[in-house]
Amino acid sequence: MPWNAWMALVIERLPELWLRTGEHLMLTGTSTGAAVLVGIPLGVCAARVRWLRGPVTGCVSILQTIPSLAMLAILLALLHRIGAVPALVALTLYALLPIVRNTLAGLEGVPATVVEAARGIGMTPPQRLMLVEIPLATPVIVAGIRTAAVVGVGIATLSAFIGAGGLGQFINRGLALSNTDLILLGAIPAAMLALVVDGSIAAFQWGLRRKRSRDTRFRAAIDRAARPLALLTPAALIVAGCLAYASTSSHSSSSASESAVTDAGTVRIGTKNFTEQLILGELMAKLIEAHAGLSVERRFNLGGTMICHGALTSGQIDLYPEYTGTALTAILKQPVIADPDEAHKTVARQYRQRFSAEWLRPFGFNNTYAITVRKSDAASEGLRTISDLAEVSGTLRAGFTAEFSERPDGYPGLRRAYGLRFREVLDLDPAIMYQAIASNEVDVICAFATDGRIAAFGLQPLRDDRGFFPPYQAAAVVRAEVLRAHPELRKVLELLAGRLDDATMQQLTFEVDEKKRRPGKVARGFLESQGLLRKRE
Amino acid sequence: MISVKQVSKSFDGGQSYAVRDVSLDVRDGETLVLLGSSGCGKTTLLKMTNRLLEPTSGTIEVDGTDVSGQDPIALRRMIGYVFQGIGLFPHMTIEENVAVVPRLLGWPAQRRRVRAHELLTTVGLDPDTYASRFPEELSGGQRQRVGVGRALAADPAYLLMDEPFGALDALTRDALQQEMLALKKRLKKTIVFVTHDIFEALILGDRIAVLHDGHLEQTGTGEEILQRPATPFVRELLAKPAQKLAAYGRIL
Repeated sequence: MPWNAWMALVIERLPELWLRTGEHLMLTGTSTGAAVLVGIPLGVCAARVRWLRGPVTGCVSILQTIPSLAMLAILLALLHRIGAVPALVALTLYALLPIVRNTLAGLEGVPATVVEAARGIGMTPPQRLMLVEIPLATPVIVAGIRTAAVVGVGIATLSAFIGAGGLGQFINRGLALSNTDLILLGAIPAAMLALVVDGSIAAFQWGLRRKRSRDTRFRAAIDRAARPLALLTPAALIVAGCLAYASTSSHSSSSASESAVTDAGTVRIGTKNFTEQLILGELMAKLIEAHAGLSVERRFNLGGTMICHGALTSGQIDLYPEYTGTALTAILKQPVIADPDEAHKTVARQYRQRFSAEWLRPFGFNNTYAITVRKSDAASEGLRTISDLAEVSGTLRAGFTAEFSERPDGYPGLRRAYGLRFREVLDLDPAIMYQAIASNEVDVICAFATDGRIAAFGLQPLRDDRGFFPPYQAAAVVRAEVLRAHPELRKVLELLAGRLDDATMQQLTFEVDEKKRRPGKVARGFLESQGLLRKRE
Repeated sequence: MISVKQVSKSFDGGQSYAVRDVSLDVRDGETLVLLGSSGCGKTTLLKMTNRLLEPTSGTIEVDGTDVSGQDPIALRRMIGYVFQGIGLFPHMTIEENVAVVPRLLGWPAQRRRVRAHELLTTVGLDPDTYASRFPEELSGGQRQRVGVGRALAADPAYLLMDEPFGALDALTRDALQQEMLALKKRLKKTIVFVTHDIFEALILGDRIAVLHDGHLEQTGTGEEILQRPATPFVRELLAKPAQKLAAYGRIL
């Protein structure tokens, strides 16, 4: 990777980097703080009440074994909201184990003679705890907090999946756009942040130590001055994070703020986590900013259909781009409808009734799944249709997105419809899927029909000769309440209706995925070329 | 005065007794030594005095009041205690260790500080050198001096000492015993002193109570016990050091 190009990216993104670092510190700091407030009393109870020990340590250990993404998904379902709240709860739960364990170990490590002396001279149990046991256990407890905070910095990168921001957002977008530079823009600062957090708590530990420095008067004086300062380092770091966050969030396009109520002048746009969605999000955002006189909050890159749908129905976002086929099968759980107009009418009617949400007119393209192989294989094996593929499927390896592997209109249904029997099926991230087929690690993927990489990577989509895939026409889904408050939104958003055909969408995603241009710039260029946005002077 | 009246203590619901039907008085201003080998119940008896342990039966009175009716926290604060394992608080300076009971009693900082320095001087440690050190920077003998200072801090009328010099080397122990002798004459405390060392008992005790298997064998001054041992156990206990002395005499 050319180093200079990366540094240029860092400089270009500096304000956002600053904001994401602030968010990241807030997420880690707040969750670690909450875990301290819960974990230390829990550890003390477990140390004091013998029968509580097993259940308490057992519970926090079980929490630790839940995979991070599963934890986020569970909390999303339980709390019915995206953003910082479920992320903070998840991070707090993860931070509990080291803090509870170390509190327990620290208290148990207090010498019996010291405990007896504390009792014998007439300390009450609370005095014994506060004056003797906690101070003696403190080094062990702080070591636990240190572990929790450093691990927290790592896990916090995952909170971007549910719209909580942080440095994970760069990683997430980098993955969605197969942009390594962007991944590193999140990963390197996150690693550095982990070191800084670790260092700040190490300084705190040093500040706590009360040993007389017997070397020189000079050193003793430095010690006296430095130790109180050292104690303040973690607090200073959190304050710095809040300041970074506060100073940039006001003029940033996206933030982790949590309001379930629509701010009168703001529209919150969500998207799923792949290139096409990001471009659609930008197209809609720019039109609203230019023509509706409203400000836009971008809550892009949410981790999948169910998260977007949940965010919309719980009022955390106002609109997002959805596909008719996806809505029909994955959300409404209904059979496939082959006619595109009929499908759109059906979902529009049902959304209005069940979710108080409106489907606007489609953008024009049909982003169906395209079962895709390498052009070279298609030629040598004579593959033109999915039926052709079924005959040779026993020797091939497939790489599908996790969503495709589970959805009824995905692999489970496709397999039955065509009698496919692959040698192996791997679950892959959308971005990695294309790399995998290009480098011969898999032979078949479920590409998106509008993906620019189909052409760029020399791939051949196969014809769905049995008409298995329903139409996937993309359109904006908007909360009815928001349309009532801002009726002009419908007209503004429908400026895009019918303007984006399959070829146009392929071209736009290609610009982002392969030419590494930013979705915002690609969207602006398109809108300008269509005369929907005045050119910048 | 401390009055122990028919006190028994069992740790296993009555199958065996660590202390069995012991009665004795500790008179005001005297030092009573509880003498016996390990496991004879002397520490158990001491701990029942300030309610670190509760007797299974019988009563203990301090100044004529049954301790079982008193708040154990208040009781412990008015009775100084020197522990077998010393038990200094490792995270506190020497000064803070000595002043910990006054702190619990809510004395103002300045008064605690003056008192701590006074006590360090009393137990033979220079406050300017030692007040701001931590326990791990001190020798075993110095730490036990601090332990004695801590027990004396609130000027209690009673002092319970549980083998305070047991873990020290012979020379340090001799020195501390001599100082203890001087100290108790000066301070006029009522002291209960637990030891398994007969010489220590003879040096420090105004009276000695010999315990064996939880029973009280004999109470009396050193002289009385030496000259008129009441039971075969006491006779044997005293015969051992006499034989040892005789052996030393031959070598020297």
